[in-house]
Amino acid sequence: MNIDTAEALRLDENSEVSFSQLLVLSGLSDNDLRELVDHGALTPIDPNASSWMFTSYCVVVARKASRLSRDFELDAHAVSVLLGFVEKIEALESELHALRAGALGHEPAAASGTVSR
Amino acid sequence: MKYKDYYKILGVARDASADDIKKAYRKLARKYHPDVSKEKNAEESFKEVSEAYETLRDPEKRAAFDQLGSHAAGQEFRPPPDWSQHFASGSPFESMGQGGFDDIDLADLLAGLTGRARGRSGGRGREGPIPGPDYEAMVRITLEQAFHGTEIELDLSVSEYDERGVAHRVPHRIKVRVPKGVIDGQKLRVPGKGGKGMQGAPPGDLYLDIQVQPHPLFRTSGQDLYVDLPLAPWEAVLGTSVELPTLAGAVSLKVPAGTRAGQQLRLAGRGLSRPDGKSGDLFAIVAIVVPTVVNERERSLYRELSESSNFDPRAHFKLGAAA
Repeated sequence: MNIDTAEALRLDENSEVSFSQLLVLSGLSDNDLRELVDHGALTPIDPNASSWMFTSYCVVVARKASRLSRDFELDAHAVSVLLGFVEKIEALESELHALRAGALGHEPAAASGTVSR
Repeated sequence: MKYKDYYKILGVARDASADDIKKAYRKLARKYHPDVSKEKNAEESFKEVSEAYETLRDPEKRAAFDQLGSHAAGQEFRPPPDWSQHFASGSPFESMGQGGFDDIDLADLLAGLTGRARGRSGGRGREGPIPGPDYEAMVRITLEQAFHGTEIELDLSVSEYDERGVAHRVPHRIKVRVPKGVIDGQKLRVPGKGGKGMQGAPPGDLYLDIQVQPHPLFRTSGQDLYVDLPLAPWEAVLGTSVELPTLAGAVSLKVPAGTRAGQQLRLAGRGLSRPDGKSGDLFAIVAIVVPTVVNERERSLYRELSESSNFDPRAHFKLGAAA
């Protein structure tokens, strides 16, 4: 069977989504999404712009917010607090991972004379 | 259709009160919710818990579930003959014959009783178009695949609705191109590759959670790579040129004289590529290794070095003691 290959898009800081796209992709209501922005859980690229744009990583955060809200029956404020803790844990885990990988603790010296084979 | 014992999944008795069911759910949600849990198989466990709670919290669905009888978990079963007329009145399952339940999931059956389909936001009325559900999948790839980019084939078992609105479990194969430079924990979206929408609504999306398998040589931190570089003491002191593996093939690396253990030698742009077109770096972390077995000639040379060298690796001990 011939299957078309679909492109996977990164959800990161390098691409953008609009407010209405974020609504559709997260399943959040307009009001909940605005509240998450008010509580600082999500930050538009330019908060003063007439129509908000977000980095596509916000899709990951907004979907997480949607799941937490639904599964724990939490309001937007509680979700924002929880997301803050989850974010801190993820940052610490990432730092720990970097330490384990050997990323910290020594000042790197640039290698010279590298030749590709 | 396979039986699932929702009471057992939540760890409550069959006559548990609504309050007890809610408490049991909350306790298990705290333990297994994939966004807050580090338990193994958290996602799978939470799906079961969530499915059980969705049924037992709703008196109508709970009564329908109770009337299915009690079976062993995973046992094939069919609803009793009059069950559909009694509990599925007005739902797509009302007129279903006994043989029609074979490829139906218990959760879909119970969800369908209230005339609701599970859409993008987890449940919407049947009135009007219903967007297709999103699918989520965890994908394990090698570091080489992450470095070069890759194509993967996913075999999912998903619910698809027939023309009557009845959900059936069907196999679903999807081929996806994963861009190069993805990192462990990265989330990807594949637009339109979720479930089919109903009544002209758009399909859902497929979300991929990338897990990069540990590599025998390289460790990762974001787009940067780390590799241990063992050096003999004389190589570290005198400097040398070594062949260093990278994900794009071996390179020749010049190690400067006087290189210390733990020092990191950076090979710019030899890490995973970033979306902006640049790449992370590869760091070679120096480890000085000594031979555990030496012959007489080597021992003699080390002794000679020991006698002629004035290097004191513990000089700072004396400075510290004098302070």
